[in-house]
Amino acid sequence: MSLRDLLAAALLLAGVLTALLAAIGLLRMPDVYTRMSASSKAVTLAKMCVFLALALEFGALGVTTRALAAVAFVFLTAPLAAHAIGRAAVALGVPFAPGTMPNEMPPREPASAEDADP
Amino acid sequence: MPGVLVVLALAWVAVTGEVSLGNLLEGAVLSALLLVLLRRPPRRALRLGRVPKALGLLLYFLRELLLANAVVARTILSARPSLAPGVVAVPLDLTSDAGIATLANLISLTPGTLSLDVSEDRRTLFVHALHVSDPEAFRREVKEGFERRVKEVFE
Amino acid sequence: MTLLSSLALHVGLPVLGLALLLTLVRLAKGPTIADRVVALDLLGTLGISVVGVVAVAARNAVYLDVAIVLALLSFLGTVAFAAYLERSR
Repeated sequence: MSLRDLLAAALLLAGVLTALLAAIGLLRMPDVYTRMSASSKAVTLAKMCVFLALALEFGALGVTTRALAAVAFVFLTAPLAAHAIGRAAVALGVPFAPGTMPNEMPPREPASAEDADP
Repeated sequence: MPGVLVVLALAWVAVTGEVSLGNLLEGAVLSALLLVLLRRPPRRALRLGRVPKALGLLLYFLRELLLANAVVARTILSARPSLAPGVVAVPLDLTSDAGIATLANLISLTPGTLSLDVSEDRRTLFVHALHVSDPEAFRREVKEGFERRVKEVFE
Repeated sequence: MTLLSSLALHVGLPVLGLALLLTLVRLAKGPTIADRVVALDLLGTLGISVVGVVAVAARNAVYLDVAIVLALLSFLGTVAFAAYLERSR
């Protein structure tokens, strides 16, 4: 068993365990914001580990470039998705967990001009 | 424009997985076509002198990513999670779209913190975090850690 | 079958299966629609990891393309859902 295999195995294990961690976090955290903090980032790391393990395992140049492109794509899109859900949750008025201190989010104004004044 | 073209052509080579000059040219032609189709007002070109700063930012980010993941892992797995969530308003020194977007995305990617929104006047970023014991210290950490480095690269 | 592919098959996939189950619990429990979107997003992205681990287990790089396409679709789905929620209030 070569060093490369060992590294790929370690990355794979780290990846799936981080993914499990994300799911546990999603289940245990008290509100939607803490759940997202716990899950969507951890799972980004998990995907990175799995794709890097793939790149190491096959060793072919074409596979490595595709795996790296996939990692880059994951890192570009993950925060956008998380931000989109977070913004939507704030806009919907999903409550923060009790004990969220400080809360410097400005109080929500009426949805929009049309909604407030038909 | 040429910078974007090169990045797109390289992305084409990476995704098709065929590393050859012909494929790179094919990618360049397709990218040029795409850029003509999606023509936008010209933006500031990539500056090569900033590449070292950008690499520094990348390294700093990877370190933060691993450290923060360890902290979040401990929080999730502990029997009684010690949470002190909070939303902190971080005043922005950044002014460019690219800078603000990069800062918000880096904060969102770091486990335990999430950028929720940017104020209408684009001078405040609202950040949610799992552990806020001292909002002033948190603000300072974001400003002196990520924001300073992002500013060096983008502005 | 190499050690790595059997590790992927016998450890990787079960662990991811457990993660998927836990995510399904959150999807069922809610309580708000935002929680369900977060759970759906996590389901999609766990699916990408599953495909990646399957590629290692099957020793076939073709699955990598599947993972990339799944990543694209899952991202679009989440953003579309979030945009819809934000507009529907």
